[in-house]
Amino acid sequence: MVDRTDTKQDRQTASRRSFLKAGLMGGAAVAAGTGVARAAGDPLITEIQDWNRYLGEGVDVAPYGKPSEFEADVVRRSVPWLTADPVSSINFTPLHELDGIITPNGLCFERHHGGTATIAPADHRLMIHGLVDTPLVFTMEDLKRFPRENRVYFLECAANGGMEWRGSQLNGCQFTHGMIHCVVYTGVPLRYLLEEAGVKTSGKWLLAEGADASAMTRSIPMEKALDDCLVAFKMNGEALRPEQGYPLRLCVPGWEGNMWVKWLRRLEIGDAPWAQREETSKYTDLLADGKARRHTWVMDVKSVITSPSPQAPVTHGKGPLVITGLAWSGSGTISRVDVTIDGGRTWQTARIDGPSLPKALHRFYLDINWDGSELLLQSRAIDDQGLVQPTKNELRAARGENSIYHNNGIQTWHVNNDGVVENVEVS
Amino acid sequence: MLKFPKSAALAVLAMTAFAGPSLADGDVAAGKKVFKKCAACHAVGDGAKHKVGPELNDVFGRTAGGAEGYKYSKAMIAAGEEGLVWDADSLTEYLTKPKAMIKGTKMAFAGLKKDKDIVNILAYLESFSTAQAAAVEPAPETAKEAEPVETAAAAPAAEEPAPEMAMAVEASQGAYGLGRKAMPDEVEAWDIDIRPDGTGLPDGKGTVAQGDPIYAENCAVCHGDFGEGAGRWPVLAGGQGTLLKERPVKTIGSYWPYLSTVFDYVRRAMPFGNARSLSDDDVYALTAYMMYLNDIVEDEEFELSKENFTEMRLPNEANFMADDRLSEPHYAKGGEPCMTDCKPGPVQITARAQVIDVTPDGEGDENSGGGID
Repeated sequence: MVDRTDTKQDRQTASRRSFLKAGLMGGAAVAAGTGVARAAGDPLITEIQDWNRYLGEGVDVAPYGKPSEFEADVVRRSVPWLTADPVSSINFTPLHELDGIITPNGLCFERHHGGTATIAPADHRLMIHGLVDTPLVFTMEDLKRFPRENRVYFLECAANGGMEWRGSQLNGCQFTHGMIHCVVYTGVPLRYLLEEAGVKTSGKWLLAEGADASAMTRSIPMEKALDDCLVAFKMNGEALRPEQGYPLRLCVPGWEGNMWVKWLRRLEIGDAPWAQREETSKYTDLLADGKARRHTWVMDVKSVITSPSPQAPVTHGKGPLVITGLAWSGSGTISRVDVTIDGGRTWQTARIDGPSLPKALHRFYLDINWDGSELLLQSRAIDDQGLVQPTKNELRAARGENSIYHNNGIQTWHVNNDGVVENVEVS
Repeated sequence: MLKFPKSAALAVLAMTAFAGPSLADGDVAAGKKVFKKCAACHAVGDGAKHKVGPELNDVFGRTAGGAEGYKYSKAMIAAGEEGLVWDADSLTEYLTKPKAMIKGTKMAFAGLKKDKDIVNILAYLESFSTAQAAAVEPAPETAKEAEPVETAAAAPAAEEPAPEMAMAVEASQGAYGLGRKAMPDEVEAWDIDIRPDGTGLPDGKGTVAQGDPIYAENCAVCHGDFGEGAGRWPVLAGGQGTLLKERPVKTIGSYWPYLSTVFDYVRRAMPFGNARSLSDDDVYALTAYMMYLNDIVEDEEFELSKENFTEMRLPNEANFMADDRLSEPHYAKGGEPCMTDCKPGPVQITARAQVIDVTPDGEGDENSGGGID
């Protein structure tokens, strides 16, 4: 922990220093494309470097590889004051450091309600019972004999952005939007398992339960279970990480992360929802009039600029600047992302690059030539249902400020003349 | 009878005479698993800090009540002053039934029922202690012999497949013929969910008065004596009339729609870190006590049972509604969003995160602008 902080500070200091240096050296050096060029040439080029002369480490130094030591500050981080204890808490994906649409397994945010369960695959069972013809028990080996599929999905906690309802509060895209990740899952369509047990016609609901110390439970309507739910055992090609539900989790594509029950051990079929703790006292959205919405499953159309952002300031001065971010919708694909640099007076359509898959993250770019003036950056996503990402004030007008969940309002980043970025709200 | 061994020599004697399994039999890995029951309140290992309970590094050899900076019960401090030092023997007694040994201890934990769990957890805790070794280390010859044997025995044990089930297994009749039929006892063991209509309620009953001591022993450490919540742990009672306010207090009485959720959740996940340890009657009594703390019943003799459960109603039930987000104006208006001249003049900043300053790594970590839980 201390090391990470040090690294981060060192790096920020270093980048701030080189930025100042570049500024002092004036426009010429910046125009030449380097902040450290000298008459004698860049010593990194003119002098032979250690890594060029001496042998590096051989294979097998790390049988399971790790990121470069220079990436040590690219880690999940938590907000200690948010929750009572780390065993029932959350941390955040460092979105500002990532690119593309796939989240590396070790950086996928964690949310546990009773700590990470440790379960040997040989000891894991999945039971299907209730309104079925035959109640069944599967071992992990059984599950791996069903036909399996690979699908890319985002998983977003319903509380992502929940701390921002009353105004901009956390200064970092990691903290304002980092309760999300996107990986490729390998698993068995839930439909196959339900068909194997034979769901009775009266079976309209499904209760999914985890094997962890919180015995997490959520009610899921049968149409969704039969549509695109997946019982997954791999993420990004390797076994699920323990903190993501090893050896088995449920994927409920496009719906709030709490329903993606980890350490999945039981599926009960019934004729009505169960009104469990996580669908009554939590994950219900309190409105300004005292009413509360329940079963707010779908994650709304949403986007955020990941760089520049408060943890990823502009350090290179004026000139070409890559503005990039993520967009997603629980309803399908993203058809368009617009970006503004003046706080929403004028918008330009950004370029979506990479795969455009339903209920997955989309990566967008807007390449601009920065003149060094202040920017108010925002992004606005539109999904294939035609739903447009609302402003934070539109959401507040409709819901008040006590909803906690489902805050998909447009985020504003202020970039000052020095490239420093801050989380702000605008008129 | 000497209550607490007063010296290492006595501790050795006590250990030798101790009839139960000795520390040498403990399995650190198994102890680590058992420790999960403790981890909600205790930390151990690198950088461990006091939580609800004191950190447990070097607990062997520590005088009772002696961890610096932790606020102990008077009873624990007194025990230390009387000469209680934690070693295998005293910890065994304490972990078997904490309140029997130290009357008045703050530790809400009821105790470990299995001797094996205690031996294993002591082995685990010992691995974080330096002072202990001399007192209860097994005789050297055992250690010598054990070394090669242990290595040989440990590896296959870990990979040993689950024992064959000594019962008739009926294959799935589905299209793939995968899996096997679940047995009624298996379904019963896992099917513990309760619905608002009472489906799933077990036989049983309990009164408010019976729930009071169960709550005090198992729940108050986190939820407060009156359900007011300790630290950031959930508030269970009060909050009526706050749902329209700036900081609503969402409790069983002020917010939760169904009483069945209380029973279901307590039975499946509470006490936190020792789930499934309460009897059904205990859960009925605790649920009744929750109603009492929330002024839903006022009679301490009120008894909640399977029979009268579904007659109970929580005050906020009618205020839950279906998801109608798509009818909100910003979604309902539809159409193409504005691209140019969308705001009348230059845009002003109206709020800044740096003013709030609650971002981690900043200087204002202590402040809270509201939570997610």
